[in-house]
Amino acid sequence: MTNKNANAYPKKRFFLEMFTRDISLEDCILDLIDNSIDALIRSRHIDILSDLLNPVSSDESVSSNKQWQTLPTITVSFSDKEFRITDKCGGISPEAAQAEVFNFGHSNDFSGSLGQLGAYGIGLKRAIFKIGNHFDMESTTTTGGFKVSIDVKEWSKKDTKISDWTIPLELTKGVKTLTRAGTSIKIRDLRPEVCMRINDGSVEGILHTKIAQTYALFLERYVRIYLNNQVVQPETMVLGQSEEIQVGKDQFDEKSPEGVVTVILIAGLAARTPKNTWPLSSAGWYVLCNGRVVVAADKTDLTGWGAGLANFHYKYRGFKGFAFFFSENPLLLPWTTTKRGLNRESPVYQRARNRMVGLSKPVVTFLNDMYPSEVSEEIAEREIAEKAVATNINRVAANPSKGFGVVRKKSAPKTTVQIAFQSEKDDVARIKKCVREPSWSAAKVGEYTFEHYLRMECPE
Amino acid sequence: MREPKESWRKVAYDLRPAKQVERRMLLDTMQMLSLAGFHISEYQYTGFGSIYFVDFILFHKLLGIHRLLSVEISEKIEKRVNFNKPFDCVDILIKPIGDVIPTLSPDRKHFLWLDYDTIVNSDNLSDILLATTYLTPESLLLITVDVEPPGEEGDGPRQWRAYFREEAEPYLGSATEVRHYAKDSLPRINIQIIEKAIKKGLTGRSDVEFLPLFNFLYADGHQMLTIGGMIGSKAERRRIEGSRLIETDYIRLDLSKEPFIIKVPNVTRKERLHLDSNMPCSDTWETEEFEIPPDDLAAYSQIYRFFPAYAELLL
Ligand SMILES: C[S@@+](CC[C@H](N)C(=O)[O-])C[C@H]1O[C@@H](n2cnc3c(N)ncnc32)[C@H](O)[C@@H]1O
Repeated sequence: MTNKNANAYPKKRFFLEMFTRDISLEDCILDLIDNSIDALIRSRHIDILSDLLNPVSSDESVSSNKQWQTLPTITVSFSDKEFRITDKCGGISPEAAQAEVFNFGHSNDFSGSLGQLGAYGIGLKRAIFKIGNHFDMESTTTTGGFKVSIDVKEWSKKDTKISDWTIPLELTKGVKTLTRAGTSIKIRDLRPEVCMRINDGSVEGILHTKIAQTYALFLERYVRIYLNNQVVQPETMVLGQSEEIQVGKDQFDEKSPEGVVTVILIAGLAARTPKNTWPLSSAGWYVLCNGRVVVAADKTDLTGWGAGLANFHYKYRGFKGFAFFFSENPLLLPWTTTKRGLNRESPVYQRARNRMVGLSKPVVTFLNDMYPSEVSEEIAEREIAEKAVATNINRVAANPSKGFGVVRKKSAPKTTVQIAFQSEKDDVARIKKCVREPSWSAAKVGEYTFEHYLRMECPE
Repeated sequence: MREPKESWRKVAYDLRPAKQVERRMLLDTMQMLSLAGFHISEYQYTGFGSIYFVDFILFHKLLGIHRLLSVEISEKIEKRVNFNKPFDCVDILIKPIGDVIPTLSPDRKHFLWLDYDTIVNSDNLSDILLATTYLTPESLLLITVDVEPPGEEGDGPRQWRAYFREEAEPYLGSATEVRHYAKDSLPRINIQIIEKAIKKGLTGRSDVEFLPLFNFLYADGHQMLTIGGMIGSKAERRRIEGSRLIETDYIRLDLSKEPFIIKVPNVTRKERLHLDSNMPCSDTWETEEFEIPPDDLAAYSQIYRFFPAYAELLL
């Protein structure tokens, strides 16, 4: 018997051609933003679990000028010639760059903390490969920095031994203050399909919406993002709350030898729009991993609809729920590598999904009662829904865990009755003339004559 | 929304002998569980007391359970339910049970009986899923459903399959062919569906599993199925296996085994007295005094301890 070893090497072509297929251009760009925010979390010592859902105090509110000036920034800009992302979030140390940042995936003995949002150690490389053929990267921290310039096509040609899997770094000096430390990536020689997407004009709009939604909990509180010179405002995360409406909340920890996942579930009625409606498009569940939105406005069995809950129906458009998963070990979170979906096999996700169903049940019952015939809203429920005030998710998250509930105040019995009747137009006109009020409506004339009779003929 | 079936109009629950035998077997089991170290009297009982509260009366009086919650879905009988509440320690909620299960206290052990008198539907299955999602370790869960064929007179297996596809799609597993839905197979189909819903609720709960105890089939008119067991870990399993439960005829620790059939034979009062004086009896015992089919005798010997005696009472 003879024994031989079969080759099982990584091939650069795989990473360049295949690996980039399952993710959209926009999601690749979000991966780069994730890395910037990770640097921010590291350098500013943000504790995702305890800080992110804390109620926003007034001195860090969006409008406050002081904070306005000092927010670290991430600037994303692109044309069909060049893509650029520059942040002032703290940068990458030369040590981390040498040992880890350019690896494809994290190594077994990687001892540093994984990025809280980056998680997989592939975002940077995948984004570069997806977008273009040449990249320049520069990063500085307060202790040191580095520069890289790579022609990807040239780099990929050499692929015979493991030492071909390295990238030359030029080490540079650090900057004095943290506020100046950061990373900048410039990608040139864009791939033809990327040029095409950029030229069709849709990328900017989609990206704007996605950034506003994905980083809703970070924007204008921890970081400011500019997209092609425009500030991206966060899409607010709100629920309807009032004295009568108790928003549902549930929380549990899933422990395993690899770490803890804290799950916080919140569900209730959406806030009404200024037009007093509930838009269908934003109804459903929002799932966030370490504060980053992974799934938005989901109405499928992924979040329990048609699997424990009834199938999603138009009459449930007032439903809104948020599922937060937090962990210091981001690999325990149920997201996929594209961060656009959930890993259905994840035990913590399965457990959470069952409890999302439980938390949603009473909300669904309320909405069923509200639309018994599906034609009109039932008055009592509508009044309750209308009185709900849009309340920020951070405020709601501070509530104790409790199921969704509605306290129905006994409404005072109605004392009025509606009167409607037909009158000759000429007669109405005569009265208007008589009282010298030509602009009155017919209804106003009716009210006036009723009151007049009451006053003159039926004194109390 | 499906309207609740108004069974409270149709039957006086306490006069159904097989159901009463079932309740008494449950009591018997609870007593054995107490002996095995489960503090049943400290459990919270949550059930559908309807307007008769038979189960509530039994469990309070005979087991000493004093945390009792009756849930009723039908707003039409709200006052009647409250009027008939048997003890002050019974709380009443007029809500669908699915809204209540997630709010059951995580600091207590529970005994939850989803005693539907209807054919299983998607709402019931979601209640079951929620029950095993939320019930604390050592809690007991019972589910009773009607296992008669669904639908109209004249329907057959094809229509019955259509019903189950509509209501229980995610839980049908390999039961795909029409032949799986023959009338005789419906109890088995129901067992499988309920078992899958139980499992689904437990996914992601790594500390516990469902430890079956009951699988009853009986008929006071309609054929009914009761599945029951404990949410527990290996430790609870060992306690159950170390108790008298394992040598009890009607206990089923494995749902793939045939259900225990509660059959209440027709015997007169005089015959009962005679039979009782020979109980417990060996498998070969027969009686010369009167004719009794061997099946009935066997059934009698299994249930005589739980068999209620009815007499007219002039109040
Ligand atoms: C069979 S009876 C209960 C009998 C009782 N367990 C006993 O042993 O006497 C069923 C009652 O439960 C109510 N019910 C059925 N489904 C329900 C649900 N999903 N939530 C709350 N109550 C329900 C019905 O309206 C009915 O009054």
